[in-house]
Amino acid sequence: MKTVIRRRWLVVVSTVLALFVGGAYAQDKAIVLKGGKLLTVSHGVIEHGTVVIQGGKIVAVGAESSTKVPKDARVVDVAGMTVYPGLIDSESNLGLTEISAEAMTNDLVEANEEIMPHMHVYDAFHAESELIPVTRLNGITNAIVAPDSKDTLPGQDSFVQLAGNSALDMLLVRDIAMPLNFTGDQRRNSGGFEKLKFPATRMGMAAQLRQAFLDAQDYAQKLADYEKKKSEAAQKTDDKDKKTPTQPKRDLKMEALLPYLQGNKPIVLAAEGASDLETAVSLAKEFNLKFVLNHISQSQSVLDYVAALKVPVIVGPIYEEPKPYERYDAVYSLPAQLYKRGVKIAFASFDAHNVRNLPYQAGYATAFGLPPEEALKAMTLNAAEIWGMGDKLGSLDVGKTANVVVANGDPLDVRTDVKQVFIAGQEIPMVSRQTQLRDRYSSR
Amino acid sequence: MKRVSAFLFPAIFCLTIAATRAQQSPPSAHNEVVIKNAVVMTATHGNIPNGSVYIKDGKIAAVGKDVSAPASATVIDAGGKFLTPGIIDSHSHIALDDDVNEATSPVTPQMMMIDAFDYQDKAIYRALAGGVTTSLLLHGSANMIGGQAIVIKHKYGLNRDAMLFPGAPRSIKFASGENPKRVYGTREQLPSTRMGNFEVQREALVQAQDYMREWDDYQVKVKKGDKDATPPKRDLKLDALADVLRGNLLVQIHCYRADELLTEIAIAKEFGYKLRAFHHALEAYKVADQLAAANIGIATFADWWGYKQEAWDAIPWNAVMCMRKGVKVAIKSDSGDFARRLNQEAAKTIRYGGATEEEALKMITVNAAWIIGVEDKVGSIDVGKDADLVIWDGYPLSSFGVPNKVFIDGDVYFDRSLPGFGMPYYREGQ
Repeated sequence: MKTVIRRRWLVVVSTVLALFVGGAYAQDKAIVLKGGKLLTVSHGVIEHGTVVIQGGKIVAVGAESSTKVPKDARVVDVAGMTVYPGLIDSESNLGLTEISAEAMTNDLVEANEEIMPHMHVYDAFHAESELIPVTRLNGITNAIVAPDSKDTLPGQDSFVQLAGNSALDMLLVRDIAMPLNFTGDQRRNSGGFEKLKFPATRMGMAAQLRQAFLDAQDYAQKLADYEKKKSEAAQKTDDKDKKTPTQPKRDLKMEALLPYLQGNKPIVLAAEGASDLETAVSLAKEFNLKFVLNHISQSQSVLDYVAALKVPVIVGPIYEEPKPYERYDAVYSLPAQLYKRGVKIAFASFDAHNVRNLPYQAGYATAFGLPPEEALKAMTLNAAEIWGMGDKLGSLDVGKTANVVVANGDPLDVRTDVKQVFIAGQEIPMVSRQTQLRDRYSSR
Repeated sequence: MKRVSAFLFPAIFCLTIAATRAQQSPPSAHNEVVIKNAVVMTATHGNIPNGSVYIKDGKIAAVGKDVSAPASATVIDAGGKFLTPGIIDSHSHIALDDDVNEATSPVTPQMMMIDAFDYQDKAIYRALAGGVTTSLLLHGSANMIGGQAIVIKHKYGLNRDAMLFPGAPRSIKFASGENPKRVYGTREQLPSTRMGNFEVQREALVQAQDYMREWDDYQVKVKKGDKDATPPKRDLKLDALADVLRGNLLVQIHCYRADELLTEIAIAKEFGYKLRAFHHALEAYKVADQLAAANIGIATFADWWGYKQEAWDAIPWNAVMCMRKGVKVAIKSDSGDFARRLNQEAAKTIRYGGATEEEALKMITVNAAWIIGVEDKVGSIDVGKDADLVIWDGYPLSSFGVPNKVFIDGDVYFDRSLPGFGMPYYREGQ
C-alpha cells in the first residue's frame, strides 16, 4: 500500500516537475485528492473525504461519497493518508539567514540602533534560501518573517508563502506587523561599564520607545497641519493668499511608525516575564497601539491578566527553559493554560533552520493538556486569523488558497512523514538540498 | 484589573516553597519493587505487552510476562503504560555553570570535569523529568584536547559523589574543526587552521609518547631493582595523554566534516590509540563504512543543522544511514533543552530513514551507554542491569510521550503526579 502510494507520487511529482520546467505554471487541470482523512480545522474531521483543487484554490471539500469530481481531473488516491491545511509559522527568520555563524549570510537585524521601524524584511528576504525547501517538506507553507529581536523596534514583518517564482510571489503581505521587543535582551549593557550604551536598562528602553512614539505623533501632527493648510490654500481665491505651505521634511523612520500609531496594523509585543509584559502593555496602551502578545514564557503568574487583555498570544517557544524555582513543565503547559482561559494562541518556531519542527512543538504541548485539534488550529486557522488571512488560509474550505498537505499520519507526530505539499495549488517537488545529499550518498 | 493568582498552576506552588536552600533526604533503602502491567520496551529483545519487571537491591532481577517476586515487594501498577530503560545522554554540558572550556590553551587534558560539577544545577532535574537517568558531562570544543569527563546519574537532590556513576570508565574530550581554530585564530595564536589544529594535536601526542617512554624506562629500572632510579617529574597534562596512548581513556571527539573524521582515524592509528565515538559527526553518513570498520560510534543530533559552515551538509537521515552501515549511533542533547526530550529527538529517526521502534530507542539507551562505556550496567531492561527505568504517559517515541515516573537504581526520583517539582526525595525551603 505504502509502496503503491509512493510510486504514484513519484509519477505525480515528475509530471509536475516537467510542467515547471516547461513553464506551464498556471496548469488549470483540477487535482482531486480522494479518500483521505481530512482535518478541515474549520469544520471537523472527514474520515473519507475528497479535496478538489483548481486554479490555485480549493474548489470542493467533502465526503468522498458526495463530492463531485470534475471531468478531466487528475485523481490522486490518498486513502489512508491524512490531509490538512498548510501550516503557518507565526514568527520565523526564514530568508534572512543561511548559515548562522557566517555573518555574510545573515540579514537578521540592524543592531546599531534600537529604534529601526523603517527596516523592512522584504528588502532582505532571500527567496532562494536553501532553508525554504527544507521547511516546506514538513508541511509548513506560510510564515511570518520577522527581524531578530535584538532591537526594541527592529523593523517590520512580512507574511510569506514558501513557494513561488520569486520573492515577488512569495511576499504575500509586506509590513504586515511590527515587533516591539521588551525582554531585556535589547539593553546595550554587555561588555562592562566601559562599553555601556544607551539604553543600558529597561528604563532606558522604555524612555526611548516613548520618545519615538511621541516624535511620531508630532510628525503625524505636522503632516496633518500641512495637509490642512494646503487644502485651505487651494480654496483661497485671492492669489495673494494662495501661499503654498512648506511640506514637512520626509522622515522614513517616523513614517514607518504611523500605521501602528494610528492602529491600522498590529504591534507584536514581545515580553517574557510578568513585569516586562506589564511594562510593555502599559506602553502600548499609552499610545493606543493595537497589539498581539509574543512569547510570555515566564508570565505564568499573570495569565488571568493576559486573558483579560483579550488579545491573541504567539506562544513560546515552549522549549524555553523554566526558571530554577519553577516546575519542569512550567513552559510546556503554557499553551494549554492560555487555551483554558479562552486566549487565542498561535505557535511559532522563532527560528529559521528548525521551522520544520513547528508541528512537534505543538504536539508536545498536547502532552501537557492542549487538545490536539487546538494544537493544529494554533498553526493554521488561528494564525491565519491573527494575521488577517483568515479568508484565504488556515483551513480546508472552498475558496481558500490551496495550501494543502498530504501525510501518512497525525500532523503533530514526529513520526509522520509528509508525502506531498501543495502551495497555491502547485505540487511542490519533494526535494531539498538535504534530500539530494541523502540520495547522493545512499546510492554509493 | 483583577489578577487572580493561578493557584492551580504547579509553577506557582513551586514559587511558594522556593525561598531557601535545597535540602536533600536520601532515598529509602532499595526496597523490592515489582512494576506490573506495563508494555515493557526492553531495547534489546523486543517489547513485552502486559509485562512485569522485578527490582531487587536496585537491580533488575527479573523481566517477563510474569515474574516471581516475594509477596512483600511493593507493587506498582503501570496501568498499561510504556516502560523503557532510563534515557542516556551521551553528550551533555549541563551542571557546569559555563565552566565547559578552559579556553586558554588548545591542549588541556588535565582539566577534570569533577572539579567544576555543579551538582545542584536544576538542569539535572529538568533532564530527569524528561526521562534521563545517566549523562556524560563533557568539556566543550574550544580546545583540541579539552579534558576528562564525568558520568553522572540524575539523582537530583543527593550530594555530589552520590550522583557519580559508580565504576564508569573515564572519557576524554577531543575536538577539531571550526571551534578551536576560531577560538585561537581570533587571538592570532596557533591553531587558526585545520592544519594547525591537527599539528597541535600531534605535537601533544608526541610529547606524551616521550613522557610515557620515560616512565616505562623508569618502571623497567625499578623492576630490575635499580635503587638509584629516579622517577621522571610528573606532568598532569602528559599523564592524561599517556593514558590515552595506553588505552585507559575513552576518546570522544567533537568532529563534523567527513575529511576530519578520516584524519582523526588516521592520527589514532598513527599513535596507536582507539577512538570510542565521534560527537556531532554530522557528515558521518559520507564515511559510514570507515567508521563501522574502525568500530567507532557516533553521538549525533537528530536534525540540527546550518548553525555553522561545518553543519551545512547535515541531513536528518544521518543517524539511520550510519546505523544501516553498522555504526553504533546515539542521539544526544548537547543542550539543557534537548536533554529534556531526547525521546522525541530519537523518534525523528523513525520519520527520517525508517528506523524501527527498537532501533530508535537504542539510540538514546543502550547505544548511548556503549559510547560512555557503561553498556554492561545500564541501557536496557535486562536482568542484572541497574533498575534505571521510565514509565511513560503516552507513547515514548512520538511527539506525545512524557515521563510519568523515573526510577534510578530502583528508587523513584521523579513522579509527575506529585506536586511541586515532582521529586519525592527533594524539597526546597525546609
